[in-house]
Amino acid sequence: MQRLYVGGLSHTITQKDLKDRFGKFGQVEDVELRTRKDDEGVPYKTFSYININITDADLKKCMTVLNKSKWKGGTLQIETAKESFLHRLAEERQTAEQQRLLPPAAEDQKQKMLDSLSKAGVENFTMKAAVPGTEVPGHEDWVVSKFGRVLPVLQLKCQKGSRARTLKYDPSKYSHNIRKLDRPSADQSFSDLPTPVSQLTWELQGGDDDISKKRRGEFPAYEPPKRKKSRTDAVNSLKAEGKPRLKQSVDPVALTEAAQVTNGPKPPSAVRPAQRKGPPLTLSDIDSDDEIHRIVAVQSSSHNALQQEEDEDKLEVVGLDYLVTPGRARQQQKGGDEEENDYDSADTDELLASRKPPPPRSSSPPPQERPTLTAGNISGNNTDRKRKTKKKSKAGEEEDDSTDAEEPSTQKRRDAGKLSSQKQSKKKKVLPVVKPSSSESESDDEEEEEECESADSSSDSDYEAMFSNVTRLEISLADLQKLAEEFQDTSETTAPSSLSVSEQETKPPKKGTTPEEILAALMEDDSSEEEEEQQQSKKKKKKKRKADATTQLLPAFKGTKVLNEGSETEEGQKEEEEGEGTEVKKLKVDHKATSSKMNGQKHTETESSEDEEEEEEEPKKKEAVVKNMAEKAESVSSSSSDDEEEEEEQENKGKVFKTMAKKAQKESSSSSDEEEEEEEVLKANQTVLTSKAAAASSSSSSSEEDEDEILPAKAAVKAAPPPAPHSESSSSEEEEEEEKQAPLRVPLGAKEEEARQRKANIRRLAAVQQRQKETEENKKLIQGALANLDAPAAGAGKHIVFGSDDDDEEADSDDEQQTTSEIKTPKKTLFQDSQSETEAPGHKNTSTKEKLSGTHLFGSSEEEDADEEEDGSRFDIRPEFEGRAGHKLMALQSRFGKDERFKMDSRFLEQNEDKEEESEKKKSGTEEEEALEEERKKSLSILQSVLGISQHTSSSSKATSKAKTFRDVSALHYDPSREEHAAFETKTEETKKESKAARRKKREEAQKLPEVSKEIYYDVSGDLKAVFGQTKEEGEGEEDAVAVAVAEKEETNWDQEEEKKKEQEEAGEQVEQPTPESSLLSAEKEEASGFKFSFFGDDAETGSGETAEYKIESIQAPKLSWQQDPRFHDSSSDEEEEEEKGQEEEEKTQSTIIAKIEETPTKTGLFFFSPEDSRLTEGPKLFCRSSQLEEQKEQWEERRTELRQEYRKKHKDARRKLKTSVKS
Amino acid sequence: MRPLTEEETKVMFEKLSKYIGDNIKLLVDRPDGSYCFRLHNERVYYMSEKILKLATNISRDKLVSVGTCFGKFTKSIKFRLHITALDFLAPYAKFKVWVKPGQEQSFLYGNHVLKSGLGRITENTMQYQGVVVYSMTDVPLGFGVAAKTTQECRRVDPMSIVVFHQADVGEFIRNEDTLT
Repeated sequence: MQRLYVGGLSHTITQKDLKDRFGKFGQVEDVELRTRKDDEGVPYKTFSYININITDADLKKCMTVLNKSKWKGGTLQIETAKESFLHRLAEERQTAEQQRLLPPAAEDQKQKMLDSLSKAGVENFTMKAAVPGTEVPGHEDWVVSKFGRVLPVLQLKCQKGSRARTLKYDPSKYSHNIRKLDRPSADQSFSDLPTPVSQLTWELQGGDDDISKKRRGEFPAYEPPKRKKSRTDAVNSLKAEGKPRLKQSVDPVALTEAAQVTNGPKPPSAVRPAQRKGPPLTLSDIDSDDEIHRIVAVQSSSHNALQQEEDEDKLEVVGLDYLVTPGRARQQQKGGDEEENDYDSADTDELLASRKPPPPRSSSPPPQERPTLTAGNISGNNTDRKRKTKKKSKAGEEEDDSTDAEEPSTQKRRDAGKLSSQKQSKKKKVLPVVKPSSSESESDDEEEEEECESADSSSDSDYEAMFSNVTRLEISLADLQKLAEEFQDTSETTAPSSLSVSEQETKPPKKGTTPEEILAALMEDDSSEEEEEQQQSKKKKKKKRKADATTQLLPAFKGTKVLNEGSETEEGQKEEEEGEGTEVKKLKVDHKATSSKMNGQKHTETESSEDEEEEEEEPKKKEAVVKNMAEKAESVSSSSSDDEEEEEEQENKGKVFKTMAKKAQKESSSSSDEEEEEEEVLKANQTVLTSKAAAASSSSSSSEEDEDEILPAKAAVKAAPPPAPHSESSSSEEEEEEEKQAPLRVPLGAKEEEARQRKANIRRLAAVQQRQKETEENKKLIQGALANLDAPAAGAGKHIVFGSDDDDEEADSDDEQQTTSEIKTPKKTLFQDSQSETEAPGHKNTSTKEKLSGTHLFGSSEEEDADEEEDGSRFDIRPEFEGRAGHKLMALQSRFGKDERFKMDSRFLEQNEDKEEESEKKKSGTEEEEALEEERKKSLSILQSVLGISQHTSSSSKATSKAKTFRDVSALHYDPSREEHAAFETKTEETKKESKAARRKKREEAQKLPEVSKEIYYDVSGDLKAVFGQTKEEGEGEEDAVAVAVAEKEETNWDQEEEKKKEQEEAGEQVEQPTPESSLLSAEKEEASGFKFSFFGDDAETGSGETAEYKIESIQAPKLSWQQDPRFHDSSSDEEEEEEKGQEEEEKTQSTIIAKIEETPTKTGLFFFSPEDSRLTEGPKLFCRSSQLEEQKEQWEERRTELRQEYRKKHKDARRKLKTSVKS
Repeated sequence: MRPLTEEETKVMFEKLSKYIGDNIKLLVDRPDGSYCFRLHNERVYYMSEKILKLATNISRDKLVSVGTCFGKFTKSIKFRLHITALDFLAPYAKFKVWVKPGQEQSFLYGNHVLKSGLGRITENTMQYQGVVVYSMTDVPLGFGVAAKTTQECRRVDPMSIVVFHQADVGEFIRNEDTLT
């Protein structure tokens, strides 16, 4: 059967026609006629398939006859066609059916073979109890192999060289290589469970390995030499293998041995060589000493160096005097050992603190940032200049202006003038200029900047790096602008130009670094309203700061921005429209305007920077801004021609707003990367500027590429305000960025915005009113409170003020009083919205308290804290009630209740009672103390015995031990605070001791002298007494003074010896002089005494009589006489005075020196000295003070305080040093 | 509560001197007041005179603890230091051992200090010298006895014991009921 395709039929042809036509050649079974029609149903092609039973010859004939023959208006085209798919399908199915019916021949064959095998006694390819190698009966090529398995004999084709030959592989002959891969499925047929190739081959891998050999059961032959090999070799091999005994190693060679040894759970690679310390071989392994020696030698040679190094790394050995200071160690650890740090069980607080990110930067950027920023800034300026100059000639001029304006600001930055305005200007500069550069680096379009790009980008990267860790406070330009606007609101009379000026002028005096300060600076100028709002904003900020501390941005925060943008974009665009209208009108004005624009922009930039430092703004401000904008717009429209300057200013404002709006938009559009966004925004600002400049220039004459673009852009602005800025900026290079952001920007509906604004405005106004009310109330409260305050103050004299009361205490009491008069709550509120005080200076005058609060204006929270502290302190025990005495006092006072009039003072305590009690206690305590003391002594003695050294010797032994321990003298530093270092001091004490001894000697001598003289001159002393007695009669005080002076002299001697160097400072010259003199005198006395001894043997009495004589005279000329007059040397005597001498002899003892002096003159007068001897006149003077005692005392006390201070200072210094040394 | 007998004092001082040497003197003879050792329930307490006086008000059977417990006398009249004495041993200790952070815990669970955990050791430490064990952050963790001299410590393999554990601050938790 053939299927023919017949094409080129006419449309009118029928099946019957075809049947008839083809029927001549064969039996036509089926005709399938098809007609192709076009859209209108007109057939354009007709063809048919004919199933025909036809012979090949007939087909040929048919083809030759009919093919390409013309029939009924068509040329027939006959071709054999494929069979119809249905037919084919049917055929296929049929064949499949047939195949299914046919039993598979191969299987049949297999089955046959299996059957035959089973007949031969083979079951499941196994033949039980068959010797390997026996052929299976009936099957020549099947052989019984190992395990009784029946395997086929394989004919392997082997191609060796040119000729191929077949190898007969008889499995029975290689039976030992075959392993039984018996599975649990042993009963299954071999064919059913073919073993995967991978399983078959695994065994053969790594055939040469020892392990695999062993696995195969092929153990190497027993090698006695390996064990019998000398140990050193073994050690060496072990060394090479990395100590297989101690740890598992991956070394294949080592594995052979290592496998046999059970290993410790050591990590294989880490510390292999270091850990090898002990002998790796047990003693039993080692045969002889010789071997041991060799082993040891090998080990030491191989490992020692390395080991010791590593050991020393690991094991730190410290000296005995190693100081244990937990703090320092921790620091060290933090610096160094991270592992330890990780593990260290430090306080969770500490951990938290350490892990905490650097504290959020709420205030201005740290000063270090500025230099880099300035650098970036400068480069940015350059780039800006270049770009702009390239673009427009006029714009170039303006740029010059702007750069001029910018440069001073940068200079300002440098001179670190801390005027806040300057700072702000700095900030303005820093942020805007730096950021654009980065954006520039991003944009590929710019040709010229590329040189600067690198620097810019670097600075930017720095900047970004700096800011990457810092949570940023986002405040848009708009916020600050709002502030400014509000200011304008309140002071509407002032020209808008004055705004920037005044702000900048007013700001300078304050150095605002923290947002609060800046705010304060702003606020002082601004009206109360604004202040209130700022206060609000501050509060908000505080809250937000807390919230934002860790997270960079909050969605809510963005939301506010969105709000802002919405409003501001509108307004700004309105402004823009009008401003541009004016621009077109006036070219000159435009020039100025552009320059002023620059200023304005700067201003805004400052504000933006400020904002960034401070926080984002509040919706209320926004409204104010909006209002202001509206005002301005009006003013612009009205006074377009009147006042040029004003107009300019307003234009500037408008522009600023535009930029702000843009910024806001962009920020809103910003997804996450705030910095980039800002950069872009700033760039946008700049581009706006340039575009503005372009607009100006376009109106004038200059023809640039951008001009054309700008004009339509302006048109677009007028048509559709929101996209305007973009269209403008799109003229410049930032097209790409703009386009990027364009889809993101979804400006809010203007209507919605307006409604929102209105609502907010209403709310704001209500809040303002409420606030005003509150402030008034506060005022009243304060006034009332102050009135109350005054009243008790009047009666303050009656108050018992405790001696311990300081100013603080008074303040406390004040506070308490205030709280009692319920002033506290108003005060708090005052602090909260303390702007009222600042705004109204007259208000300040109302109370001093308020002034105080005014100083703390913005530390309201602190103030509250302080209040809280006060609250807390109220419950503290007052100092006067502390201690036992305090308890008594308290008890006393409790009798009177809380009546203030009866407040008890420490004066009310009877102190003698305490003393008595104490004394009693002491008495009782002494016994116990004695017991304890005894015990302690006992224990000390035991300790001595335990330690094997006596207590005293222990100290000495310490010293010796110190001497023994080597100390690097060069590393030794003298530390006065250390006791041990006292050894390095050159001691004055020894001399002192010596001098003490000397003095003692002297004293003894002096004491001896009178004794000696007693023998001879016992009257002399009496005579002296008489002298002093008289003087006493005349002025006892004087004599006492003399005695004291003498004592003092002694003391001063003492002191002098103690502090040799300070001698002259401490003790006056008068004091100093006597010492040598006295010694001299003593020497004289000695001489004199010597003479006495020699000269007077028994004439003492006569001598005494003589002395008595002239003593009488000395009485006549009382004190002065012995001081100045040599008359008392006269031998005239008075008996009356001698009686008095006897009475006052005891008193004399202390003034023995004087007596000596007295004696010497007498002697000398008598025996050796002429009465005119100069020494006699000088000597007595030494014992008189040249200055008054009080003066000396004062001097001494002065010196003493000085000395004390000096000492304290030194002590402090030493302590500090010690501390620092310990810390370091 | 009674003062220590001479023998007891001697035993105790001998023990203490293993850790703080002649610094015992500083415990006995303190500049800031008189302190003493007292025996109570076979335990030696170290207290100031003030506390001693106060403690006299409490009857012997009711008194659980007073001052700082330094340790106790065993039945065979040997003195065993308790961890509570660490506060007084640590500042005066002559020989110290610092334990690496990894081994801190092991030591605090009552294990000996191994060479691998030894971070630092005072030089010239003799064998069986009493040592105070510090963490690397210089926090005293306990005390023990040096099993090896400093020189030996350099050599020995990491798993060998360097310091025998005697007491550690973990006992404050582990032996909370018996520590007084």
